[in-house]
Amino acid sequence: MSRIGVFICHCGENISRTVDVERVAQQVGRLPGVAFSTDYKYMCSDPGQNLLKNTIREQKLTHVVVAACSPRMHERTFRKAVEAAGLNPFLCEMANIREHCSWVHEDKEEATVKAVEIVGMMVERVKKNRVLPTITVPVTKRSLVIGGGIAGIQAALDIADCGHEVVLVEREPSIGGHMAQLSETFPTLDCSQCIMTPKMVDVANHPKIKLYTWSEIELVEGYIGNFQVTIKKKARSVDEDKCTGCGVCMEKCPVRKIPNKFDCNLGMRPAIYVPFPQAVPNTPVIDRENCIKFKTGKCGLCQKVCGPGAVDYEQEDRLIVEAVGAIVVATGFDLYTIDEKPKGSMIKGYGEFGHGKIPDVIDGMTFERLASASGPTGGRILRPSDGKEPKQIVFIQCIGSRAREKGISYCSKVCCMYTAKHTMLYHHKVHDGQAYVFFMDARTPGKSYDEFWRRSIEEEEAVYIRGMVSRLYQKGDKIVVQGSDIAVGVQVEIEADMVVLATAVQPQKGADTLAQKLGISYDKYNFYSEAHAKLRPVECATAGIYLAGACQGPKDIPETVSQASAAAAKVMALFSKDKLEREPIVARVREAGCVGCFACKKVCAYGAVEEKEIRDRQGNLIKVVAYVNPGVCGGCGTCQATCPSKSVELDGYTDEQIVAMIEAL
Amino acid sequence: MTPIDTSIYAAVSAAIRAEAQRILTEGQVSAVVGYTAARRKGSAQPVVITDANDAARLIFTPACVNNLAVYLTKAKKEIPKKGRIGIVVKGCDLKALTGLMGESQLKREDLYLIGVPCAGVLASTFDPARELTADSIAPKCSECDAHLPQGCDFLPPQTPATPALDRKYAAEIARLEALTPQERWAYWKEQFAKCIKCYACRQVCPFCFCEQCLCDRNKPQMVETTPRPAGNTAWHIVRAMHLAGRCAGCAECERVCPMDIPLNLLNRKMAKELKELYDYEAGFEVNDKGPLTSFTEKDDQSFIK
Repeated sequence: MSRIGVFICHCGENISRTVDVERVAQQVGRLPGVAFSTDYKYMCSDPGQNLLKNTIREQKLTHVVVAACSPRMHERTFRKAVEAAGLNPFLCEMANIREHCSWVHEDKEEATVKAVEIVGMMVERVKKNRVLPTITVPVTKRSLVIGGGIAGIQAALDIADCGHEVVLVEREPSIGGHMAQLSETFPTLDCSQCIMTPKMVDVANHPKIKLYTWSEIELVEGYIGNFQVTIKKKARSVDEDKCTGCGVCMEKCPVRKIPNKFDCNLGMRPAIYVPFPQAVPNTPVIDRENCIKFKTGKCGLCQKVCGPGAVDYEQEDRLIVEAVGAIVVATGFDLYTIDEKPKGSMIKGYGEFGHGKIPDVIDGMTFERLASASGPTGGRILRPSDGKEPKQIVFIQCIGSRAREKGISYCSKVCCMYTAKHTMLYHHKVHDGQAYVFFMDARTPGKSYDEFWRRSIEEEEAVYIRGMVSRLYQKGDKIVVQGSDIAVGVQVEIEADMVVLATAVQPQKGADTLAQKLGISYDKYNFYSEAHAKLRPVECATAGIYLAGACQGPKDIPETVSQASAAAAKVMALFSKDKLEREPIVARVREAGCVGCFACKKVCAYGAVEEKEIRDRQGNLIKVVAYVNPGVCGGCGTCQATCPSKSVELDGYTDEQIVAMIEAL
Repeated sequence: MTPIDTSIYAAVSAAIRAEAQRILTEGQVSAVVGYTAARRKGSAQPVVITDANDAARLIFTPACVNNLAVYLTKAKKEIPKKGRIGIVVKGCDLKALTGLMGESQLKREDLYLIGVPCAGVLASTFDPARELTADSIAPKCSECDAHLPQGCDFLPPQTPATPALDRKYAAEIARLEALTPQERWAYWKEQFAKCIKCYACRQVCPFCFCEQCLCDRNKPQMVETTPRPAGNTAWHIVRAMHLAGRCAGCAECERVCPMDIPLNLLNRKMAKELKELYDYEAGFEVNDKGPLTSFTEKDDQSFIK
């Protein structure tokens, strides 16, 4: 016979204000099987938990129902307490009389009756609960980091410094990401490459980091602690082991006028190239679309001049399988391209601002390349159209961002600060120039951020105009910018030499495809979703996958680095155990009833259902049934709902338990 | 009473016999499941033939109503365990086999399909010798879209006569859809009230292949066992739901129902829903995933409010 203990929580006044908790305890106490019932002010508090533990021992309770808040809030708390008192934690259930009752009702009498019913249901349910042993799965102590920008680099270095192997995968020919493209960084104006390249070199030289550049994720299988990742290593056409990085091939390549994506297409590169001189690895890649050898079969100059014989035109894409236990996703961001309206996209263009049509209307990243000492102009601010120095420059904020009607309602977070930085860089380089900024409002929370912004106005003479630009057009070699100054209430017209648009930060192209391969969720903008906005900001809902950097939402460098280290800490916590314990809420197949229609396998979102052969002693096949791999099962219960013969059940949520609850009503 | 031309059935029967004899003699199959004459005049019954000499017993007549697919799954006791099995299939029966292949119950390579060019079969075998007419034909045959089964290993060359007939199910569904929900509920309540829980519909259905039906389980008791309204309704709703997206309309359930409950009407309505919602028709190809075991962004989501 069950000896069930029921504990009714007041939750301060959250519950007791609308539910007569004493009456609930009294009435529930009369239910068959209930040996003890009481109410208490705060069950989750230390004394509350001690009451629970002591009562289990004194009353020799066999099952426990805690009627309080949502199990999402405190199920783990109470199950731990129950375990500490010597009971299997899965013999404890929570009845939610807060979210499901007291918070949503006003009438105390009715709410009390409902609370009694909710608790009664859980009493009947808990009678059918079985002891569930904790499931342990082995942990492969290697990590995959996807994306070699500052987020991926930081996470990889932190994990590797802890002694665990890291596989770092980067889509581009070099690691470095967007940070390598920046000129200086706010709020200290230190040179981006100066702080970035040492970290890139550390990655290349780290004995625990295996670097795959020019590579993409093809397939992800498995589960926390045990992922199998297939990586496609795209043909580089240059043998990384033989290449010394001397650069002769790049000097001799006859194709020279290919716009360099790294320089925002302002600079040119050959067909065999490294995106920038400090690239890691310093191994060139052949752009097969533009290479004469690949287009016509002639040329082959790079192969002839290559001393170590590293150029290999026959190289093919290779698939590599790596076993890892955790995955850090750090795929970063891309900038909103306003002249382009992607087909089927909810995001509308900003054609009215002439980006792509007027050559001197550029975006923030292009300005970074102009200002960068390693950029196409050697750090001089020059107009892309005629190479003249712009004497009047207009910066426009919130292009794409915070414009619901254009499809993006979020704030891109970094633009206020980088535009302030741009005005400073401009002022430092063009002493007689004048910078204007059209802005909605300045968002500068962050250490030393507001001071930095104030400095751009007070010391660096930038003119901030509160208001948006309505129109801009080319007039001779000037760009006329028309807007309003809402602070003064007048229309403003500026004849600018150059316009810089602070375009919105968006996730990388293909972020959704990667998310589908990983089985992680993403929002309508394709930013990856964290498990909990406040309490689990670096974890995905999918166990064993963590997020770092702007792939989750717009972020600046300090925030990205913090999150990358946080993700690394999560990975290291996972790797601190040899075996991973997980909740035994998994599906189990009743093989006697299973006829192997595999409807469960078709609907399983986790790929947890396998086919299992049942044989007699002579080895003759009797039938093929479904088998649920408990390490992979996510415990969603879809298989249970789908099985026509009810031959698969979710432990902890069996049909018997659910029916018992319904019948208690 | 418009008669339906079944004159080809003699030639079809001869072709089936010749083919069955050939594949049994050559050892291509270990058995052939088909129809043979039963005791009453004009009647037919299923038969499993393992000896090539017995192939001469095979027939095809308007009384060959059974869907033989069940003999390959739950009624497979008489079927040899080893070797490929030949089976005589009408278009409607083939759809069931196709569905069973998609649900891992059968493998195409284990079967030798002998197709039947079929003009139709009788609605009832109460008088098996009666002539096939627009009145005596099974309602499913009046809406048949598979008079010539596709993709068989052998198909006699005859072409069946397929006159346009009144579409009885379509008409009845239209009539019921025009009713108010209350009137419709009253209609089905009356139908389900007739049920005596004999489970003949389950036993004859090729898709009810579970070894342990959930209706026979008592821990927990999912469906009330006694023939009372609540349990009856639960059973028929479970049945209709489990067949949605799978049933291709062999209508055996309706034929065997001793209480004349219009079971296939319910199945056809579900099929119509699937067609309208997902543009899906069961039984034409072996599908890895049906519309109810997969999700696409195009799926109707209007029910989420």
